[in-house]
Amino acid sequence: MSIKSKIINVGIADIKVGKDTDVLRTTLGSCIGIVLYDPEQKVGAISHIMLAKDPTGKDATKFPHKYGETALPILIAMMKQQGSNIGQYSCRMFGGASMFKGINSQFLQNIGEQNIAIVKKFMEENKIPVIVEDVAGNEGRTISLYCDDGRVLLKKAGMEKYLYKVR
Amino acid sequence: MLKSKVDEVLQDVNKLPAISSVVSKVLEKLQKPDVNIADLAQEISKDPAITANVIKLSNSAYYRASKPIRTVQEALMTLGIKTVKEIVLLTAAKGILSQDLNSYQLEAAQLWTSSLLVAELSSKIVQHKKLKIDKDLAFTSGLLCSVGKIVLAQFFSPVMMQIKADLKDNQEPFPTLEKKYFGYTHMEVSENLLKRWNFPQELTDVVANYLTPENSKNNPILTSVVHIASILIVVSGIGIDIGGESVPISPFALSQTGVTEADIETYFVHIPDLQAGLADLLNV
Repeated sequence: MSIKSKIINVGIADIKVGKDTDVLRTTLGSCIGIVLYDPEQKVGAISHIMLAKDPTGKDATKFPHKYGETALPILIAMMKQQGSNIGQYSCRMFGGASMFKGINSQFLQNIGEQNIAIVKKFMEENKIPVIVEDVAGNEGRTISLYCDDGRVLLKKAGMEKYLYKVR
Repeated sequence: MLKSKVDEVLQDVNKLPAISSVVSKVLEKLQKPDVNIADLAQEISKDPAITANVIKLSNSAYYRASKPIRTVQEALMTLGIKTVKEIVLLTAAKGILSQDLNSYQLEAAQLWTSSLLVAELSSKIVQHKKLKIDKDLAFTSGLLCSVGKIVLAQFFSPVMMQIKADLKDNQEPFPTLEKKYFGYTHMEVSENLLKRWNFPQELTDVVANYLTPENSKNNPILTSVVHIASILIVVSGIGIDIGGESVPISPFALSQTGVTEADIETYFVHIPDLQAGLADLLNV
């Protein structure tokens, strides 16, 4: 990592954009980290969504970044603000873990799966290719997006690996 | 088996995380029913760092004091003994829980944030479900339930490869692997530490059983509350460690607390809002 790079933490229910030497980082359980990266302009973004949809119908107006339904359009708009349009970037997705099978909470059991589904549906509808997926299972994941070349450092279950595929 | 090495560390005071003698004395005084405020203020004032934190946090938005607080005595008079005790413990906990635990895949900031969130969510669940439990006690027990990881984290290196291999097809809660390799789960180590620090029994019982609430002898309801809070925070990804989401939510905990599926959903969705409200405490 170069000395100039700036680490930008993407919190839970948060969206951040970065470019050039920025490093965007987030930690995931059942939530999903959606990584968009434009290799030509070296612009990237991570959205950390908690749930696919707002179960209350009221919270999303106040906190749109929590839910896939409302966060993903904002994510696309933020890329556009950085001068990167659909067709210039692809998507990588991480997270969506679920607990060991049990029947104790349908809600907790299904969060991960539903999150994965909504991201796929949105990307398909908007013709944004999903080129890498590291989802499901029960592991926690920390991902770091290096905006200089788009590589992602993935940490999970005691392992670390770089993923270099950006298109 | 590294148990003998862990035992060695557990028996050596110099190798264990410590809390200051002032914190121990304050806790001791607070366990007596007839605690004297002036006496307590004098004890707290012996430690400049704790004094500064008590005054700073007493004036923070989180505690919403009715007037500006300039001394420990004023903090005790205005916020009450229980709240000041919470602040003293928070300061002590921050000192211990602010370190990277690389083997657990936890960075210091995550460990502290998740400890605070488990504390805050535990306290909120107690209030929301109108349980007959002191919400400050819920906060403190939630705050300390990861403390044993600090000791075990030192022992991963020689067995890391085996642990990784075990995790590949793991179908057990992670504490089962802790027990297998270190002879102790992090809950057992937490219990050991809290006993050593003279914490009240009701707290040690919670940290000892928070992932297996059905084993709680003293306080199954509070242990169940902390169990649910800790699971939800892990699912949110804050402070999720090498164990991932390997501990399922306990039906016993749900029945003890009366927490419903709808409650779980509500608590989960509001985790970011809880975190926003903790800004003052995150930067203790």
